[in-house]
Amino acid sequence: MAAAQRRPVVVGGNRTPFARAGGAYARSSNRDLLTAALDGLVARFGLAGERLGEVAAGAVLKHSRDFNLTRESVLGSALANDTPAYDVQMACATGMETVMSLSDKIRLGRVDVAVAGGVDSASDAPIVVSEPMRAALLELNRAKTTSAKLKALAKIRPSHLSPVAPDVAEPRTGLSMGEHQALTTAQWGISREDQDALALASHQRLAAAYEDGFFDDLITPYRGLVRDANLRPDTSMEKLGALKPVFGKRLDTPATMTAGNSTPLTDGAATVLLADQAWAAARGLPALAEVVDAEAGAVDFVHGKDGLLMAPAFAVPRLLARHGMKLGDFEIVEIHEAFASTVLATLKAWEDEDFGRDRLGLDGAFGSVDRDRLNVHGSSLAAGHPFAATGGRIVATAAKELARRGSGARGLVSVCAAGGQGVVAILEAV
Amino acid sequence: MSGPGVSPGGAGEPSAPVELAEVPPLGASLRRGVRSSATAAVRRDRSLTPFDLPDVRLAARGLTTDPVCLTDYQHLVGATASDDLPAGFVHVLAFPLTTALMVRDDFPLPLLGMVHLANTVTQHRPVRLGEALDVEVHAERLSAHHRGVSVDLVAEVAVAGEPVWRGVSTYLAKGYSLAGESAERADRPEWLAPTPTGVWRLPADLGRRYAAVSGDHNPIHTQVLAAKAFGFPRTIAHGMYTAARALAEIGAPSAFTWTAEFFAPLTLPGTASVAIAKDGDGGTLDAWGKRHHLHVEVTPA
Repeated sequence: MAAAQRRPVVVGGNRTPFARAGGAYARSSNRDLLTAALDGLVARFGLAGERLGEVAAGAVLKHSRDFNLTRESVLGSALANDTPAYDVQMACATGMETVMSLSDKIRLGRVDVAVAGGVDSASDAPIVVSEPMRAALLELNRAKTTSAKLKALAKIRPSHLSPVAPDVAEPRTGLSMGEHQALTTAQWGISREDQDALALASHQRLAAAYEDGFFDDLITPYRGLVRDANLRPDTSMEKLGALKPVFGKRLDTPATMTAGNSTPLTDGAATVLLADQAWAAARGLPALAEVVDAEAGAVDFVHGKDGLLMAPAFAVPRLLARHGMKLGDFEIVEIHEAFASTVLATLKAWEDEDFGRDRLGLDGAFGSVDRDRLNVHGSSLAAGHPFAATGGRIVATAAKELARRGSGARGLVSVCAAGGQGVVAILEAV
Repeated sequence: MSGPGVSPGGAGEPSAPVELAEVPPLGASLRRGVRSSATAAVRRDRSLTPFDLPDVRLAARGLTTDPVCLTDYQHLVGATASDDLPAGFVHVLAFPLTTALMVRDDFPLPLLGMVHLANTVTQHRPVRLGEALDVEVHAERLSAHHRGVSVDLVAEVAVAGEPVWRGVSTYLAKGYSLAGESAERADRPEWLAPTPTGVWRLPADLGRRYAAVSGDHNPIHTQVLAAKAFGFPRTIAHGMYTAARALAEIGAPSAFTWTAEFFAPLTLPGTASVAIAKDGDGGTLDAWGKRHHLHVEVTPA
């Protein structure tokens, strides 16, 4: 059966360097950034003028004018205009969801080649008018007579004029993501030192990867930026330790989460070229790693049962059970650093006997991850985290690293998301 | 004024360029242009000779691009916001130097009221954000036109000695004449509007918005009263806005020639039908309403 032999592989990736909000991409829109990342990918793999199977991407902070963001980006890119595209939105797991669904389509034989990705601009975020203002403006738009128009306008009060800026608060709890994570940090007793140490390792490893030229074929400079602007190669435990806590200050445990061990608001885009292995081979293109399988997860954070960003702690054990694998089977493990304590709480949960038994239904603890295999080239704390772009960044980085390690090398990727969700995936070097 | 035996500007040996330490700000040039245009308006003698163009080349070296201006320009004309400068943005970068040439005392035609007839740009390769540009401008081909006298303003752009871009803007000064030459109205074959592929809806403030990203604050584009003074019912869109938007919509390879013919101005606010006809990596765009406004053509090199 021909379909059974199809293998979705990561051919490569391309992203923009990530900028801090208000920095190099302050005027750039989501469409600009996504198009730039796409065009870099097209140039790298010689796809100009080609019709690809599908392009899927998305943004978390999205203007209503960007209703067809990915399709519009394709139309502005060097790809053929008859390449279909669609938008996906699964908060910070958007990029992972596009990798998962497009890999499935490749495995099914529905498409041979596709681009997954995501973009976010915290700088160019949509500003929304207040609800009463919006209601009045809609009424004005419907009004046909002058008196009806005046009546609609008369409903606007000065207090309605202040715009509503986007925030990252959960609609159902009112807590920001940082405040949610502070609850998890306290629940799992994650220390300030451990968080700062993880942040330090992230910066040091990302800096080392840049020095080694690891990102030379994963990043295309944009708007004068050649590296992630958030990267601080010279940071230290002293410098990180000097930062004041910003989240968890209302709890009765000490606040430990700072701007140094939390991701900053960031602008950027990332893309991943996925293809059937045979398609890549016929083109003479590399096959870095197969997307073996993936799993989405979600937790009930609304009632405080689990932390907002803990869905991967459940999704990974389910995914690995399906394949009869354990954590020790992976040469590299990529856990998105939304906050240092997100990674640490996830690891701690997996090492916890009670959590393994009571929550995961195992005989005991799920397992532990060797720190030398964790986020080997740094992650979001150093690179930054343009929400929907993070999945693409991590998948491309992990696939390249697995290919370097040789055929059969396995990688685990885990990305948590707002709404108590997450998507995790298994990659394996071809 | 050129002396006897000196060829018309551009036709003979090029003169040594006048290097400008800095590009004159457009605002100052425009104010100067307003004054000299007013002087020219009261001058009765509007007959020129083919030798009246100043034999001068202005040059500026090492011009760089502000990424914010580039992004704003790309957004307005609908170009992909890549690090490759749109060919029309290079025109914008050279424009202050061209204007500085046109407001010199020895330039024979008034800046204000000139009509942009046509524009041709040849791009040898894309200019990248961050590259330092050397720009040189001169005027040539003072020619008789059935409504006056036309002149070509030529801008040449190089990066580290490599020519990358050349633009020729043809302007008409109405009511002028050229001694010993006359031109009949060229017969244009009747133009039949094709099936439209789209529509341009141009907002009332488009002139001000393009002025903001291009620096071209010519009042016929930004102020209704000024536009009326020059015979337009309302403000009109910048020709180079329409040409740049057409270039973005047609699409282009990395090396190409891009020509625009401006037949009738688009008044603001306004709506025009457009038709794009792709031809390989290039193609054409026509825009029309009651009249045929413009024809733009992109020809791959």
